[in-house]
Amino acid sequence: MMRRLLFNLMVWSAVLIVAFPLFWMVVTSLKPQLELWARPPAFLPVEPTFEHYITLLRETNFLVYFRNSIFLSTATTLVVIGVATLGAYSLVRFTYRGRESLAMLVLFTYLLPSVVLILPLYLMMVQLGLANTLFSLVLAYTTFALPYALWLLRSFMAGIPQDLESAALVDGASRMGAFRDVIFPQLLPGIISTALFTFILSWNEYLFALVLVNSDESRPLTTGVMNMLISSFNIEWSLLMAASVMMSVPLIIAFAFLQKYLTRGFGAGAVKG
Amino acid sequence: MSRSPQALLERRYARLGLLLIAPTIVVFCAVIVYPLLAAIYLSLFQLYTPTLEGSFVGISNYRDLLARGEFWISLRNTLVWTAGTLSLQIVLGIGMALMLHQAVWFRSLARSLILFPYFVSTVVAVLVWRWLFNDLYGILNHMLIGSGAVDMPVDYLGSMPNAMISMILVGAWKYFPFVVIAVLARLQTIPDTLYEAARIDGAGPVARFFDVTLPQLRDVLVVIILLRAIWDFKEFDLIFLLTGGGPVISTQTLPLLVYKEAFALNQMGMAAAYAVVMMAIMLVFMVVYIRRTREKDAS
Repeated sequence: MMRRLLFNLMVWSAVLIVAFPLFWMVVTSLKPQLELWARPPAFLPVEPTFEHYITLLRETNFLVYFRNSIFLSTATTLVVIGVATLGAYSLVRFTYRGRESLAMLVLFTYLLPSVVLILPLYLMMVQLGLANTLFSLVLAYTTFALPYALWLLRSFMAGIPQDLESAALVDGASRMGAFRDVIFPQLLPGIISTALFTFILSWNEYLFALVLVNSDESRPLTTGVMNMLISSFNIEWSLLMAASVMMSVPLIIAFAFLQKYLTRGFGAGAVKG
Repeated sequence: MSRSPQALLERRYARLGLLLIAPTIVVFCAVIVYPLLAAIYLSLFQLYTPTLEGSFVGISNYRDLLARGEFWISLRNTLVWTAGTLSLQIVLGIGMALMLHQAVWFRSLARSLILFPYFVSTVVAVLVWRWLFNDLYGILNHMLIGSGAVDMPVDYLGSMPNAMISMILVGAWKYFPFVVIAVLARLQTIPDTLYEAARIDGAGPVARFFDVTLPQLRDVLVVIILLRAIWDFKEFDLIFLLTGGGPVISTQTLPLLVYKEAFALNQMGMAAAYAVVMMAIMLVFMVVYIRRTREKDAS
């Protein structure tokens, strides 16, 4: 019994050390400005306040950035999932020349550094007159989101038994009919978790947003919030922590849905970082 | 010549298969294959970023690059960062996975808390850590001074080797959950009979780890190490936001060098040359990883 208690204490202290920075983020966001400069700092806010959240929403561009990020991540996810679902179906269930090479090309691009693609993409967007638009970011985000989604969906698709489709075909269904009625319902959990992972990836992206967008109207949260740090003379840490908390809320929601599929996704060699 | 209906059907299926993959191929060509080739082409030019004017210079960018001290310093920084943060991620990841594999109170809560750093945006992670590292009001300096470990506030990000160490630690904190989950998933599939057999043979917990667990984890660890090595090598956000490559260029890695050359020094051609060389180095790991996956795919 004693050993069990000690073991639990050890594990939980390790877990709490890892989680501490996130705890501190929330605590700081709730402290009045004066308490930030207290020595030693209080572990919990003495007089918790939501003033920083209100300032954030009323006096900064936070809501514009937030709306941009929602639009950007949703658009990227929809485009990528649409293209990748059909692509994965083709890569797993059809035979044609070059199919294997194509699959390996997907894997290759999945590992490619963004910093290589960003140079020509920047030139391309400037020449097409798309620089500073959210659309340019949707296009740029497909460079990492599409290989990722394809690779993940391919493994989900491979897990669906072939017999189901064959049975539907014998019953006279067309390939696309079988896809709609048999494969798609089976694949749906895979599609949902891939969509959530893609959403998270796009939500957190920084480099493309930094290079391709340079106006406040189309800045997403990552570069927008970072700009608040750089452009302010006095760094207001509570405000930045409040922004960090708000920025993480959609992730927590997505994460809660993902729990169930997490191990599966990781097992498929997924989850990019 | 008549064809069997079977062959006709196969042909129609192949055509449908190509039709379904067509959108993928179009997008790939437009945003990945073309830019990739364009990057190589760009590296043969001297190109001023704001006006996009320049001239063909052949391979002289590459000759310059190899002669520049900055390239070699950045390469060394990249290797130090990758080796440092990767080994910490692996050790911490395996340790935490072994702990969370046991019966622990509120285990699923513990697992979610561990995963959080991985899912949170790098921007958020860096902001939080910069606040923790704050020299006067940061909690880390308070705790260190309070416990008497140091007399003066530590400068975590503005001096060397502190900046590199801080960066490696934050990187390990952010990315070790990936190792935890991957190892945890594998641990669950190791048959209990192996452990029972080891126990009957009189193996203690340490011996069981080295004789049973570690050999079973070998394959998944190779994959994790390859993937993480590739991702750490090309990491941009975390380093750029945490230290910006500073002090001076002591923590500047290759991706930061590419960015600086292209968008701060406005030398797009030179930046492309750096990017191509960086990719060539990464290619070693990428090819090994792709080989492995292909073999696994085939079997």
